[in-house]
Amino acid sequence: MTTKETALPGLDCGLCGFRKCGEFAAHLAQSPELLDRCIHLRDPEQSAIAVGADVAQAPVGTNARDVATAGGDGRARLKGKRESVSLPMYSESNWHDSLGREFDFYLEHFPEEPGPREAILPHNPIITREMDIKPGDILIGRPLGMSCGCPITHCGVAMDVDWRTGVINWCVTGPLRGRQSGFKDLGYYIAEAYEGLIRLARSEIRIGMRYFFQPRMCMLQWRHSGLVNYLNRTKDGLQVRVEGLWIG
Amino acid sequence: MTGTARIYFDNAATTPLDPRVRAAMHPYLDGAFGNPSSLHYDGRAARDAVEQARVSTAALCGAKASEVVFTAGGTEADNLAILGVVRAFRGQSVHVITSSIEHPAVREVCRELAAEGVAVTFLRVGTSGIIEPDELAQAIRPKTRIVSVMAANNIVGTLQPVRELARIARGQGVLFHTDAVQAAGRIPLDIHRDGIDLLSISGHKLYGPKGVGALIVREGVTLSPLVFGGGQEGGLRSGTENVAAIVGLGEAARISIESRGEETARLVRLRERVIDGVLAQNLDAYLIGDRYRRLPGHVCLAFAGLEGESIKLLLALDEAGVSVSTGSACSTNKAGEPSYVLMAMGMDAFRSRGSLRITLGRFNTEEDVERFLDLLPRVVGELSPITSRGRAKTGACA
Repeated sequence: MTTKETALPGLDCGLCGFRKCGEFAAHLAQSPELLDRCIHLRDPEQSAIAVGADVAQAPVGTNARDVATAGGDGRARLKGKRESVSLPMYSESNWHDSLGREFDFYLEHFPEEPGPREAILPHNPIITREMDIKPGDILIGRPLGMSCGCPITHCGVAMDVDWRTGVINWCVTGPLRGRQSGFKDLGYYIAEAYEGLIRLARSEIRIGMRYFFQPRMCMLQWRHSGLVNYLNRTKDGLQVRVEGLWIG
Repeated sequence: MTGTARIYFDNAATTPLDPRVRAAMHPYLDGAFGNPSSLHYDGRAARDAVEQARVSTAALCGAKASEVVFTAGGTEADNLAILGVVRAFRGQSVHVITSSIEHPAVREVCRELAAEGVAVTFLRVGTSGIIEPDELAQAIRPKTRIVSVMAANNIVGTLQPVRELARIARGQGVLFHTDAVQAAGRIPLDIHRDGIDLLSISGHKLYGPKGVGALIVREGVTLSPLVFGGGQEGGLRSGTENVAAIVGLGEAARISIESRGEETARLVRLRERVIDGVLAQNLDAYLIGDRYRRLPGHVCLAFAGLEGESIKLLLALDEAGVSVSTGSACSTNKAGEPSYVLMAMGMDAFRSRGSLRITLGRFNTEEDVERFLDLLPRVVGELSPITSRGRAKTGACA
């Protein structure tokens, strides 16, 4: 009998995936990392640490409180395995927009994308199908009315398109690219949602709360507001989706 | 869904009747109809069958046959354990401790007691759903009479450190009850070794019939009955015994004991294949609860960005021929509410709606698991994630 086998509980419970403690011990000799599988040998305190198979993809999970409270209880539980995860930094930055209004976080675009990601809906949604809008198309249009009151015509590239609803996910890229590549003019659209990363925040970010935020690429540097309905800790930062958008 | 057998992955809700159990029950449904309390031949035959079942049921958790009280299910066993102890202290000030993730069969009893003025403490759990033994030690008061903590959670599958919790309770002279409805037959339990005073079992979670269960009452523990009448089951559960169902429970217990180590190991391997397979599919899936401190066939997971789609996911899997659950089958009428278990584990209200419970059982095979893993990406791909990041650029949707 090996030392490891001696240390095993001898219950032959099968919870490690082996029928007998002896079988488990034989495999342990080759793969010591399997020891985690014996729950009888584990410290209950260790078991209380949340286990996500892919830490970088693990969601906020224990809720936004975990992520957004730097150095707080959540951070303590996430030490070690989650070091590669990028969490928002808290800064005494000047949290005022170009009109002197306060906001809570900066919204950055995803590093793999050409610009800020938005979900938009043409005022006449059927034109999404009639204009045969497809991923990769260059589009222009102005956000009108309900959301979000911006006076500037935007230009972007379609990322994915839903002909059932007319909803287009696009990345705003600025006007130059549109002129170079040819474009389709949506006329007016409603900006339904923004998606991006929070790397800098001045307060705790929680699902279900409405915040003022500053889109990093906003030409006017006006603050926006919206309701956060998705948060996910990723290697790039805290991924967020914001709906119910307004300027101001 | 035509031509292919359905896959049943909801064994935490209920299990199919094992054909051997059905065969054992059959004589008592058809012919052997005696009342076990009758003195004549027919009665004695029924009594013998009940007592044989009592021996097998006791062996499931290291108890003596005399420590088994048959009930009409796990819920009744839980009620009898907690109310039975509290009623035994009638007229005295009583404090009860339970956890915040118990099955409603315990939780609702404790809430009812609290409404009646009994002091009740609901212990917090960590992010994996595990109770810190220190948390229990600090909660015990001089008036604490019973601690009730489930052996394994029905939603997440987490296994509690029952032996340690029981040791703390008994060290303070407090009775320890565990709802082992999910755990019995799946993990080793021994009331004497583990220091458990009261333990609940359900027949239909063990490949036995519905409508039968048992409360194991360690010798020397005093309970007040909840059902009065002819004094069956040692006076703790009056009413003519449900002989066929009790025989079924006994046979189910016998089979579980016979196959436990091997079957547990098999289910753990299938479970790990499900977890590894799903996590490798780039579906942004995440496991809820501890990776290994869980029931052998129990997987609880969610898909980041699809938490709001869990009902749709369940229905889509159902259409594809797979039966799974979004939570406890006992609370289907509350399916729109966030899971209090996941909330207690620190998840927010949004994510607490989003779990998918996949529970494997005796009759599931590797082929079932591989078929499930094959069809899952398609089913998940047809849902509408809240985030559009990373969505495949497959062209316009017609």
